[in-house]
Amino acid sequence: MRQHGGFGAPVLLAGLAVLLIASACGGDEDEAARTDPSGPQTLIIGAREDGYTTEGNEADVGQYPLNANIFEGLVRMDANYEVQPALATEWEFKPPNAWTFTLREGVQFHDGTPFDAEAVKYTFDRVAKTGGGTPGFGKDSTKIIDDYTVEITPVFENRRLIEQLVHPSYSIIAPDSNPGDEPIGTGPFKFVDYSEQEQIVVERNDQYWGEKPTLEKITFRFLPEPNARRLALEAGEVDLIVDVPREAVADLEAKGFAIVQSDVGAYDALYLNISGEKGYTLLQDPAVRHAIGYAIDRDALVEGLFEGLAGPEQTMIPSRLLGEQNAAEIDGYAYDPQQAEQLLEDAGWTEGADGVREKDGRRLELELINGFPSAQAHGAVPEFLQDQLGEVGIEVKIVKMPDTASYEERLASGEGDIWIEQGSQNDANPVFLPALLFWTEGLFGDIGYQPLFAPGGETDRLIIDALANPDSEETKALTAQAMSELVDEEAIVLPMAGIFRIDAMSEEVGGYEPQPSALQVRYDGAFLARD
Amino acid sequence: MIAYIARRIAFLVPTWLGVTLLAFFLSTFAGGDPARNYFLRTRGRQPSPRELVIVRERFDLDKPLPERYLTWLGGAVRGDLGDSFSTGRPVTQELLRRFPATLELAAAGTVVAVVLAIPVGVLAALRRNSILDQLTRGGAMFGASIPPFWLALLLIILFSVQLQLLPSAGRGGLDHLILPALALGLGEAAIIARLTRSSLLEILREDYVMTARAKGISERRVIARHALRNALGPVVTEIGLVFGYLLGQAAIVEIIFVWPGVGRLAVEAIGQRDYNMIQGFVVFAGTVYILISLAVDLVYLWLDPRVTLVRQARPAAS
Repeated sequence: MRQHGGFGAPVLLAGLAVLLIASACGGDEDEAARTDPSGPQTLIIGAREDGYTTEGNEADVGQYPLNANIFEGLVRMDANYEVQPALATEWEFKPPNAWTFTLREGVQFHDGTPFDAEAVKYTFDRVAKTGGGTPGFGKDSTKIIDDYTVEITPVFENRRLIEQLVHPSYSIIAPDSNPGDEPIGTGPFKFVDYSEQEQIVVERNDQYWGEKPTLEKITFRFLPEPNARRLALEAGEVDLIVDVPREAVADLEAKGFAIVQSDVGAYDALYLNISGEKGYTLLQDPAVRHAIGYAIDRDALVEGLFEGLAGPEQTMIPSRLLGEQNAAEIDGYAYDPQQAEQLLEDAGWTEGADGVREKDGRRLELELINGFPSAQAHGAVPEFLQDQLGEVGIEVKIVKMPDTASYEERLASGEGDIWIEQGSQNDANPVFLPALLFWTEGLFGDIGYQPLFAPGGETDRLIIDALANPDSEETKALTAQAMSELVDEEAIVLPMAGIFRIDAMSEEVGGYEPQPSALQVRYDGAFLARD
Repeated sequence: MIAYIARRIAFLVPTWLGVTLLAFFLSTFAGGDPARNYFLRTRGRQPSPRELVIVRERFDLDKPLPERYLTWLGGAVRGDLGDSFSTGRPVTQELLRRFPATLELAAAGTVVAVVLAIPVGVLAALRRNSILDQLTRGGAMFGASIPPFWLALLLIILFSVQLQLLPSAGRGGLDHLILPALALGLGEAAIIARLTRSSLLEILREDYVMTARAKGISERRVIARHALRNALGPVVTEIGLVFGYLLGQAAIVEIIFVWPGVGRLAVEAIGQRDYNMIQGFVVFAGTVYILISLAVDLVYLWLDPRVTLVRQARPAAS
């Protein structure tokens, strides 16, 4: 009594089998890079997550973190972290605390409004309403001198203002506009459309005051997952992707995609707590700190964990910004486990029964706190460090924090010995991070945790001088000295690697120049060469 | 019947209050400073104390906890779940704006599951212990064991990268829906197929099926009119629950396929310590789930009127 003629095949199984077999096959290859634009000039970019804010005075669609080239600041930053004119042609610092800017004439916003001092005042007054930003804009900070001259007086003495203004958060928006409603700027591309978490689309600004872009349109698709970006590139859905996972680089290259690297613009570093209480006092012994510096094989770290795709530099602040000559003053640490053991031995740390060193009955056991900007960002680096420090008799316990906020909270509590952080340099102010983290007074006063990594004395003096110097070149030199103090003398900061950004694109994309700071990438030179 | 429904609905109120209480306090006690996190995320650097105060005031974070809960609950009753800590927009508006995408995905996943599962389950039951049945059972086990995120990647690698047939990410036309719906639905198909099979087998042993056969009614008619209709009761319950489950399960698939739904919104909110959004999502999802199980009960009631009077517990789904 059985029925016949139905579909007997277990669709599920068959489908899965096909999947498994097909996914094991390789991809095909592309050839020949092209050098001239041809075909439709519509570029699709696989960007990172959508981090825009859309409401109120904080709205920054098109500005930050993805600089969609709609807006420009008074100044911008080149690949050497040098400040260059943009909407301001000249500037001057007037002691004690004022800056005058001469504005570029003949520039129009995308809606036809002329760019002038009014727009600058509107923009910076808006920043003042959300707390004033790093430059310290107050409600009376920006004064219009004439149509094309403004004077800015920050709320605190700020000699670093010009270096901070390169950040896209301070780019100029059209008077009475709000980027959350409609982004109106003066940049090489005009806003077309934004759908949250999906994409932002811009088109060429034919009225642009500078060199006009070749691209007619750019679609930035938000693809937060690095693997989703990679697959979208391989599937031909996007032309260019940012921040390629390092383990995917060789594969993408083999499949005919072009890999582009920026210069080092970020760092991976350890900060050692010298002001901990109760269980966290071991790193107050400089011998232990220096020993950690020598115990880490940074070459193996870069080779093994960064796939060889990281710089060996130990300056923390990118050497491009400090200046190569200044950066050379920071020695860093060669891999020398014998030296590390000798230092510990001399300081009275002798090997216990289980290989962990002890002194006065106390084990050399340190907590490493992982979570900035996220625990995942550090991959297996903490485990690698645990292994390396174990070799010289230092036991490391890894504490993973679930997110930035809990990491910050832990930092405020001071509970932890070694703090691993990754960060990037996004403006031209070299002393921002040293002043924030390693200065006993703290850049913003008491935000809870400066003393952990701030030795005071010479370091404080250098940071204060660097902050107060109106000359950028001298500030770079002073900052490098402060970093040398922190890295070489005090061993409070132990840089692990210099990190550069890796983008990948189809062979059809030309003229794209990556920047050490993602915020400064410009697309006016890019083009497509399509049949 | 009316009384039953009224009682059923009255029970929802304390359940719902419990959900709000849990949502509010769990996310609050999870720790982390949302104001500081908000700032780090939106500005990429540490806030100055002045900037921090402005953010705290704006989101009422300077008020005591019980006061914040009551204010929030008062709003929630009226459908106002506060403002998102990351976009500044009303949470309700965000959730409603992104919910259709998740609904679309969960519905498509359920359709995939049902369309695959019922024929396979019925065939397996009719040809019990045949090779087909064995394969189906094995396949169902396999399908239920594959995590959707892995399946999703395999689907992308095959259909987007290798064959370049379907888009790998984003929401758009039907072509964008196929892969995420498969990733979401296949695992559930396995479960529904097994349930259909066992439920139908049970019914086929019933006396009235025997009687029908003895009366000489064609087998097709016996199955279609008598057996299947009765066998589908627990299956319908399961489908409703699957739909509710897929609404929640969608998060991981939404992340992989860059699908702009509420699941992804919630996961992002957790990373950003966007308390209002997390709470809003939990209350929203809880409400939707409560309503779905209510609807399932009512449909079940309608499908099988015998249950009405003595209904205390649902027959266990085998």
